[in-house]
Amino acid sequence: MLMEVMKNEADRTSVASMALYSVMYPVFNQAEKENPGLTQDIVVKILEKKRLEINYNECLLRMAADDVEEFMIDRPELEFQELNERSRALKHILSTIPDDISDKVGFLQTIKDIASAIKELLDTVNTVFRKYQHQNRRALEQQKKEFVKYSKSFSDTLKTYFKDGKVINVFVSANRLTHQTNMILLAFKTVA
Amino acid sequence: MDDDVKKVKKPGIVSPFKRVFLKGEKGRDKKAQEKATERRALHTFSLSQPDHRIDPDILLNDYIEKEVKYLGQLTSVPGYLNPSSRTEVLQLIDNARKSHQLAGQLTSEQDAVVSLSAYNIKLVWRDGEDIILRVPIHDIAAVSYIRDDSLHLVVLKTAQESGGSPCPSSCPDLNKSQTLSSLSESGAVLVEVCCLLVLAVDNKAAAEELCLLLSQVFQIVYTESTIDFLDRAIFDGATTPTRHLSLCSDDSASKVDVKEAFEADTSTFPFQDSMEAEGNSPPASTPTSPQTKTASEGELSTTAAELLQDYMTTLRTKLSSQEIQQFATLLREYRNGASIHEFCINLRQLYGDSRKFLLLGLRAFIPEKDSQHFENFLETIGVKDGRGIITDSFGRYRRTASSASDSTTNGNGAAGGSGDSAASDEGQEASEGDEWDRMITDISNDIEALGCSMDQEGVTP
Repeated sequence: MLMEVMKNEADRTSVASMALYSVMYPVFNQAEKENPGLTQDIVVKILEKKRLEINYNECLLRMAADDVEEFMIDRPELEFQELNERSRALKHILSTIPDDISDKVGFLQTIKDIASAIKELLDTVNTVFRKYQHQNRRALEQQKKEFVKYSKSFSDTLKTYFKDGKVINVFVSANRLTHQTNMILLAFKTVA
Repeated sequence: MDDDVKKVKKPGIVSPFKRVFLKGEKGRDKKAQEKATERRALHTFSLSQPDHRIDPDILLNDYIEKEVKYLGQLTSVPGYLNPSSRTEVLQLIDNARKSHQLAGQLTSEQDAVVSLSAYNIKLVWRDGEDIILRVPIHDIAAVSYIRDDSLHLVVLKTAQESGGSPCPSSCPDLNKSQTLSSLSESGAVLVEVCCLLVLAVDNKAAAEELCLLLSQVFQIVYTESTIDFLDRAIFDGATTPTRHLSLCSDDSASKVDVKEAFEADTSTFPFQDSMEAEGNSPPASTPTSPQTKTASEGELSTTAAELLQDYMTTLRTKLSSQEIQQFATLLREYRNGASIHEFCINLRQLYGDSRKFLLLGLRAFIPEKDSQHFENFLETIGVKDGRGIITDSFGRYRRTASSASDSTTNGNGAAGGSGDSAASDEGQEASEGDEWDRMITDISNDIEALGCSMDQEGVTP
């Protein structure tokens, strides 16, 4: 009986949530395009107001593995699909950082996996460069350069973390890296 | 009463037996005591309790010594030995002590010093300081503490030295006259082997301290290695060429530099689409990169130029000015006839353990005829294909990507192998080879100048 009540409650809540989502998403989407960062500000303020002890950066990182339609490349060629796949793989591994970081040995394995995922993504980017001619190649290469820069920044952040133990910096740096991963996808989606 | 009388020592009367034997024993005890007072103090530090934490800098830049007793080293131990199994380990040790492979009774003769750092464990005799053995950290698989009554054993499971081959499971002692093929023919199953280094310490606290110190070493080493692995992955992915090896390119290259210190220009070698068809050299406009090149150098693939530029960028961020000059000297010596072997060894020494991954970026400099030796060298030092601490994926870097070096000569006058070259006839190959040589010379000079300019930057306020 209790389970039934709980299930009904959950169903009611999700229906209400879905309705709210359907209404508010286009509004936020448009507002965000015109004022980048607005959504984050609102969310952070709500959390503060409600005095919820939620680590915003950690939540964002955990959600990094979710697929976002606007960053998926539509082209059917194998290399572009591989680009989608390897980006997804990298973001997925980054999203596990909050769970793994407290286990010293396990976290080292996660870092190794991140390293392999970064390498594979860059390999795929290089393959696409080699195989396809792009009109705005400079923009694509600039995006690759940015990605490498933030990858290196992530590595430097990890070195600092192993000295000072501040996890928040790792979360922030990992979030930046997932953002750069999305930007690579967006660049190829737009230019290709 | 008689017993009491017997017990009283009668002065002046000494048994001949005692005079001969006990005098000797007293003498030995005295010598042992003298030895103990003569022994040097150990290089040690106070450790924070209760987990015996030590400053990582001490393990990285210094070392710590602990007193132990060295019982011996067992070799050709099956690799599947479970170091957590007290029974398995003690069985091996007991058998070894029975067969006198390990010391039975513990005396001052087994006194030794273990010197621990982030690089290796070194074992020397307490007296005389003669070295017993040295084990690199990456060769240590496990450390166990076993208390056997009053004996406190610390057992290290380590890699077998390279002379040891996989051993047939049915025969622990490999017969060196047998070849591997004959072993497989006989149906024996080959198993990996390892060594057990058996030490004894005074008490449980000493054993736990040693184990925790080793644990901290592993943490430092494997953390550093993991971050190095990440850096190498980024470096490798960033510097892999993005262009076809032909002369065709529709846009200028952008350089990927992982540090902001040195920003290479993006329009070093502009090309036109028509060049490949017409075979013309590019326009004579001067590139804006710091290394001003003539128009003819544009005939070289931009891949080669990019690789060299990227490598110079990395050198500046990873090496000191003096080291950059040393690198330039070594490169020049190699090109003037030094052997690839000498080149590799000297570079390895220059880069050290923490920067040995820089050797990967040298692939573009190595002519085809030396590439096999170079690749083998990379493997032996654990930079490639899973050897060493971290397994990495850099074996995927294809040789064809560095075919810019195909027409390199190294001063012996011997031309490199053919490989995938963009040139289509011999004349063009020779010309490309000359251009490559000149470019390498220029790059070497630039590297040296880079070292000098960094010196000047350091001096100028």
